[in-house]
Amino acid sequence: MRPVAVTGLGVVSPFGAGVKAYWEGISGGVCAIRPITLIDTEGFRCRIAAEVPDGVGGSTRRSRADRLALAAAREALDDAGIGRPDRTEAALIVGAVGGGMLEAEAWYWQRARGVPAPLPRALASSFPSAHADVIGSVLGLGGPRETVVTACSSGAASLAMAADLVADGVVPLALAGGVDALTRICFMGFNALKLLDPAPCRPFDRDRRGMSIGEGAAFMVLEDVVRARARAAPVYAELAGHGMTSDAFHVTSPHPKGEGMVRAMRAALREARVAASAVGYANAHGTATPQNDRIEALAMREVFGEGRLLVSSTKSMIGHTMAAAGTLEAVATVLTLVNEVIPPTARLETPDPEIPFDCVPRVAREAAVELAISNSFGFGGQNVTLLFRRAA
Amino acid sequence: MGHRVVITGIGVVDGHASGVVSRLVDESEARRLSRMCQMTVAAGRLALADAGLDTRGELALLVGTEFGDMVSTIAFVDGYLRRGPTGLSPLLFPHTVMNTMAAATAIAVSARDLSLTLNVPTVAGELAIARAAMAVRTGRIGVCLAGGADEPPALVLDALREAGAGAEVRDEGAGFVVLESLDAARARGARILGEIAGAAWRALPARPHGIGRAARSRAIAVALEEAGAGVAEIGCVYTSANGDGPREEWERALLDRALAPHRPPQRALCLPAGRHSGLAARSVATAASEAGDRLGLVHAVARGGNQVAIVVAGPRRVAPSRAVEALASAEAPPRLARSRAIEGLASAEAPPRLAPPSLAHWA
Repeated sequence: MRPVAVTGLGVVSPFGAGVKAYWEGISGGVCAIRPITLIDTEGFRCRIAAEVPDGVGGSTRRSRADRLALAAAREALDDAGIGRPDRTEAALIVGAVGGGMLEAEAWYWQRARGVPAPLPRALASSFPSAHADVIGSVLGLGGPRETVVTACSSGAASLAMAADLVADGVVPLALAGGVDALTRICFMGFNALKLLDPAPCRPFDRDRRGMSIGEGAAFMVLEDVVRARARAAPVYAELAGHGMTSDAFHVTSPHPKGEGMVRAMRAALREARVAASAVGYANAHGTATPQNDRIEALAMREVFGEGRLLVSSTKSMIGHTMAAAGTLEAVATVLTLVNEVIPPTARLETPDPEIPFDCVPRVAREAAVELAISNSFGFGGQNVTLLFRRAA
Repeated sequence: MGHRVVITGIGVVDGHASGVVSRLVDESEARRLSRMCQMTVAAGRLALADAGLDTRGELALLVGTEFGDMVSTIAFVDGYLRRGPTGLSPLLFPHTVMNTMAAATAIAVSARDLSLTLNVPTVAGELAIARAAMAVRTGRIGVCLAGGADEPPALVLDALREAGAGAEVRDEGAGFVVLESLDAARARGARILGEIAGAAWRALPARPHGIGRAARSRAIAVALEEAGAGVAEIGCVYTSANGDGPREEWERALLDRALAPHRPPQRALCLPAGRHSGLAARSVATAASEAGDRLGLVHAVARGGNQVAIVVAGPRRVAPSRAVEALASAEAPPRLARSRAIEGLASAEAPPRLAPPSLAHWA
């Protein structure tokens, strides 16, 4: 298998467009979770989320999610210096859940209420696969093209699948990432499940009351290390291993002992051929639901032991961005290795005694880490762990 | 090179085959699961039974879908539109995510390894099988269910048509093949239905929902190269034709150029009832069944440019072993339309018929 390098990053986050704004936001411990403006929240217990601020850019004939995805994908390719000729063989793997549903919902709402509603162009782009077709067409990517839906771990799964294609020599490089815009279905669904905190979420806090949702997009360029070095491309990190498992236990609840999570983390370690003791940081799934954080901590303790591992949750600042979360958090993990700074868990006031880790409360911490993991878990028991190694 | 990938089971449930579903889904599942998930679980169980696999082992699952469980999604939204926030069903919400069929099936058959749901128009089932074959070949997974499932609501089909996304004829159903390495299949004495000799998927230049102009196909060339085969060895092509004229014309042009100067016969198994993502499993298994000493090519291309090519060999081309000797000497390859599992189910004492599942149970 060929080593897989990360040579490009692109982000559109609740801190705005660009990797720089994202890193400044999360390393600064800034919480971007605010009252929702995109959709009607009347009658719901929770009325906040982390929205991408104005200025998404792109043609409004495209869905909001397509525009987020395009901007992040473009930044990643430019960052990696991948021009048009190099893109014809490049794979494109997109993790998505909501697709262009925000626009489709608006049409359906109107129609259901008897208001004449002409079909918007974006309606044909309401499925998750629309993003890949738009990105592939606009940016000229001609290799294997896939859209993966593994619920909240979709973004991480996209990176794992792309890494496989590069490692196995199917393609020399791949653009992979996740995207989700806020949708009514997502907002209403998590409200119905009573999983949302009416205030901004507090992962790993003893008094956490649930998650906050968000939106965004992030992409990475993954490339054969030899190819990257040959063209003198800057290498951020190596995607050294990954693990993807299924709980086969419950549609919405993780296995009570985190058994599938443990297998995913161990598979990533195995592929990277590193010992658990060599990993210094975990960017946790860390949703701030009482159940997730407790079980994820249980699983991490099983794999890494108590105490030593530094853990933080990016969701404390940008909420749970659904299919984008896995990639946004992978970008955070890579930047942690590059900048030697661990982004904090914002709003963590009273650490939960059941979480036996230093969860870097409120303020970023300087730490040079060689190996770091990013955990992502989703409905259906879909577990993905990515393991990154600092570039030599 | 990697492992050789063989097909050891097939299970397809078409939407109208409700009797099969009720025999394969128990009462508790029928209450909990949407119709789409029930069909997927049933197809998975059929395929595993056909393969003679104990489902307690490590099993991967790759599900291709074009629409997910859109019927449940619409029901979830309608609950809100009728009654506001109190009308929202927390039980329906997970079905709004397209991996719900994979989740239900993983639980039902204890699939604890890799689980992926791939969403793409038209070629979803073929893509899932191609991706799964690659994962078996490279040793990333050992044995898997690969195929697809769909239940397209009329509302969505009408809207897509009006929005200019083609006029494809679509049906509902689910289907899987069981794929594993040749070594693993031989070790457990499995009946081998055929081999995925090569598989590839690429994107052709095209606008979203559009028909491309390119007639040069890299996917077919790569799949043939992986199979170590030439175009002359292709005995039949199983296409993705389903009533969308311009797309079918494009597919013909791609095949004509890729296979020139040969022009093997082309078949589309979905017509006239329509296509669903589970039919890819039927195409692959039929290609293996009918290949004889030649090869079958399962091909699909979607508006927007996604293209999949799978080169399939029949059991006679798989290197002889004790497991296949009996098949090789038989007069005819196994007929997949009435495979062992389906015949067994049809003749077995049927469990009590369950009341037709209804989403009303969820309200």
